[in-house]
Amino acid sequence: MIDDFDKLSVTELRLRGMTSDKILAEQKRRGMSKEAIHDAWYPKPPTYDRIGSRRFRRRLVLATYGGWLLVAVILLVASRVYPGSLLAAEVLPVLMIANSVVIGVWFFRRTYISREVLASDVGLDERLVQNRNLAFRRAFQIFVPLVMLAWPISMAVVAVEPNTHGYTGALLIYLAAAILAPTLPTAIWAWREPDPVDTN
Amino acid sequence: MAPPIQNRIAVLRAERDLSRQQLADALGINYQTIGYLERGDYNPSLELAFRIAEYFGLPLEAVFSRQPFAPMSSQLYRKEDSA
Repeated sequence: MIDDFDKLSVTELRLRGMTSDKILAEQKRRGMSKEAIHDAWYPKPPTYDRIGSRRFRRRLVLATYGGWLLVAVILLVASRVYPGSLLAAEVLPVLMIANSVVIGVWFFRRTYISREVLASDVGLDERLVQNRNLAFRRAFQIFVPLVMLAWPISMAVVAVEPNTHGYTGALLIYLAAAILAPTLPTAIWAWREPDPVDTN
Repeated sequence: MAPPIQNRIAVLRAERDLSRQQLADALGINYQTIGYLERGDYNPSLELAFRIAEYFGLPLEAVFSRQPFAPMSSQLYRKEDSA
């Protein structure tokens, strides 16, 4: 029998020559529960892998929101300088959608960071639960004042310029809120989390 | 912000030839948390601190301290000298 049976995964035990039947029999002999045996044979994927360095994550957050901001500024300027041009009317909205897709891919990739933020307490240890809760609390603290500010501003923008420019401005404010709402907790978590350590 | 709590997890882990992953699995936490504990980036809850101490079979104060630890070797030799 392999001495460090408890420390090895089923895959490692197989590599050391134990057959599946013997592994299962030994697990039962050691009094492992059904759940423990199931987890041993079908280990849950790590919830916390491939998070990247803190510098990388911060650059990612800046690029994501900065990219959206850049497109928004270009759209505003272009709509004034070239009113009715193809650039303002069709190309840039496509760029904004592309930017939103990029945000979606970065922020909601299952193996990256969204799973951590959106996970239930099961599977997260106390530090990860604390981080997740803090991310949502900070996101709420940032998002609510921004929305309270953006709402009257968008009303004022439309009131001052009840035309395409005004509606474009109000739309951009709405889109900013729409992008921040689902991404801010993840962005805050990604911003704060220290550099990862290796498993050894 | 509270000052970081000092700990000997890295030393105890090395003594027992345990990887972060193995210790994390034994404690039911993420291996990153072990790393952050060792680096002083995270202060454990009392419950987790007790679990860690119990895992190593040591009293809590042997694993965690508010003050920096003296090297274990020097403490060991001091004990032997006084014995």
